[in-house]
Amino acid sequence: MTSRGISIGVSRYLSSLERLFRLDRGVPQGKVRWAVDGLAGALALGVVAATPAAAQDKPSALGLGIFTFTSGPAAAYGMPGKNAADLMIDEINAKGGIGGVPVSATYVDEAQGAQGVIAEYRRLAGDAKNQVMVAALSSANCLALAPLADQLEVPTVGWNCDTHQLLMDGKSKYVFRPNGNTVPEFIAYAIYLLDRKPDLKTVAIINPDYAFGHDAAKIFTAALKALKPDVEIVAELYPKLGSPNYQTEISRLTTTRPDVVFSNLWGADLENFVRQAAPRGIFTSSQVILALGETVLQRVPLPDGVIVGVLGDGWWMSPDAKNKPETVKFAEAYKARFGEYPVFPSIKMANALIYVKAAYDAAMQKNGGKWPTRGELAAAMKGSKVETLTGTAQTRADNDGLVDQIVGVTVKTPAQQSPVIGDMVRYKGDSLMPQAGQDPLAWIATLKPEFAKSLPKPGSYK
Amino acid sequence: MSNAIIPLLLDSLASAALIFFAAVGLTLVFSVLRVLNVAHGSLYSIGGYVAASICLFIASRQLNPYLSFLALLFSAVCVAAIFGPLIERGLVRWTYGKSEAVQILITFGLFLILEDLQRVVFGVQSFYEDAPMRLLGTTSVGGVVYLNYQILLIAMALLVVVGLRLLINHTRLGRLITAVVTDREMAQSIGIDTNRIFIVAFSLGVFLAALGGALATPTSGIAPGLGADTMVLAFAVAAIGGLGQIEGAALASLIVGLARVLAIYLVPSLDAVAPYAAMLIVLLIRPYGLFGSVTARRI
Repeated sequence: MTSRGISIGVSRYLSSLERLFRLDRGVPQGKVRWAVDGLAGALALGVVAATPAAAQDKPSALGLGIFTFTSGPAAAYGMPGKNAADLMIDEINAKGGIGGVPVSATYVDEAQGAQGVIAEYRRLAGDAKNQVMVAALSSANCLALAPLADQLEVPTVGWNCDTHQLLMDGKSKYVFRPNGNTVPEFIAYAIYLLDRKPDLKTVAIINPDYAFGHDAAKIFTAALKALKPDVEIVAELYPKLGSPNYQTEISRLTTTRPDVVFSNLWGADLENFVRQAAPRGIFTSSQVILALGETVLQRVPLPDGVIVGVLGDGWWMSPDAKNKPETVKFAEAYKARFGEYPVFPSIKMANALIYVKAAYDAAMQKNGGKWPTRGELAAAMKGSKVETLTGTAQTRADNDGLVDQIVGVTVKTPAQQSPVIGDMVRYKGDSLMPQAGQDPLAWIATLKPEFAKSLPKPGSYK
Repeated sequence: MSNAIIPLLLDSLASAALIFFAAVGLTLVFSVLRVLNVAHGSLYSIGGYVAASICLFIASRQLNPYLSFLALLFSAVCVAAIFGPLIERGLVRWTYGKSEAVQILITFGLFLILEDLQRVVFGVQSFYEDAPMRLLGTTSVGGVVYLNYQILLIAMALLVVVGLRLLINHTRLGRLITAVVTDREMAQSIGIDTNRIFIVAFSLGVFLAALGGALATPTSGIAPGLGADTMVLAFAVAAIGGLGQIEGAALASLIVGLARVLAIYLVPSLDAVAPYAAMLIVLLIRPYGLFGSVTARRI
């Protein structure tokens, strides 16, 4: 057995040990875990430094570590991502792989929690085959993995990772997000809402009880207050992520009689909320915004007029996307294979893989066709501008992404069984983003009603 | 806030009804077998999965939708008939007389097995079937629209409290159970087949857990992880009421339901901790729960 093999074996053993301690059978595990973390990190670093990729040998296969939720309530969002990855990898391999190297994926279930996800990341990073991580779905896991990516020097593409906190310090060299973040995503809803319902007075919020839910509420509220200072937030509810029952929350929302109910619940939580809220009249008594509503259009009967979006430009039926033959082909292939059309998490994942492929192509073009090192790959991602299935993903100097934001309302059409998004607007990605390094909330506070007036209006994107 | 009092009370009752189904089986099994069944939450979610599967089958075959109400009951009976005797005879009986730690570890092992079994059989996606909820329609109370199904749940919980009390006080089986609970050795010495009582009582506990899961399905989603959440909440309720106390479980469900609903209405950030804060307060004042009492340890 080579020294690298021994290192990988020991690293895996330590990762297993860490997972064993994660069972939390007692308090005195802290020191052990720190020790295990340190040892595993050191070993992984050793392995990374010793990989043949550092010598720019073209490998026989390119491994990707792909992190998503494949179990639990969040799988309703995570599995479409995994499905898209399977399909996109097959498509890439059918065209000869990346630079002639076939691509394969190892999936990590994020439902195991941050400690398990970190251990799996280390294990995968320790294997020379895995050159890139596509991680992760959950904002919490993205935040947990980011320091590790820089420590191990592994290019890590946040295929979902909504939290604006991820790249705020602008120092990361190996973490990239070819997506928007919570700032443009939720400002877009505030602007669309004010255009559609300019006389609104009261808003109630129901978001999941973790960073994504609280950040979204903060940004949406700040944008509303900046653009229409007399808006009152009459209720803010944060049910636990994975709650199966929202009946009490629905009663509470109803008693406040809000003009608008805003929610960024997602996955099975969103499905449950919609199914429970619809018969109780919330959709008729208030204007409802479901920020991730597109993901359930094919699963639950959403009424007309609900404001929904795709947290970016990942609506495969948008005018731009429908003009791209490869997008239509991807959507039809997805439908044929998985029985449903892709939802925006599927598109985000597919776009992330296109982004990875584009980075390899650019890096190889730059170094004369040689297989790039991890560092060269990361350099190729920086400042890149990539054509995706649904638009363009531009990477800023701080590694954060600029993508357009599409928002609209649910409408029924004779051509489709499920509701689709109508009365759409497409905001330019850079118009809703603060400059790199700028405090997002301070920037939002400077927005004036004139700013909103300068942006495109609902129905303008046809 | 004054216009929210009636909805608040109704929400508390509806919430309490759901919690009660999860807790009463746990407390019943403890009272007879003296075993704290950590796998109880898994049986609750299995009841939900089976009920949702049968209801989905009814819908897919376009059978009479009212059959889905029967399906809820039928699924609980099936789960109890299969899992009750199997678990009691196959596993739980080996823990009788053993320390609480051993009992908890063994039933925790069973919990892990059942949770994985659910993933294998039903997958990892969320299950939802709301036909019974839609069939019953809605009612407006204090300006808030409620599902009539929620009101049915409250009635069902009351029915279970009364039914269990009648079973225990006014039937032969109930008297046999009482005898075993009071003094297991004495009951054995006068010819009561305690093994049979254990199987029946454990299966009844499984039935109540599965019924809770089945009845919750039309208004809640069923997904992996539900069993663990249910178990923790059921244990809090059983502890507040006093382990082994049926009326205690009913009152504790009301307290926990009210605590949760009050938190959601007044201090939403305390929603998750409210049931356990209620448990803490009750146990600080009455360490054996509201209806529990100190029992002398027999040597």
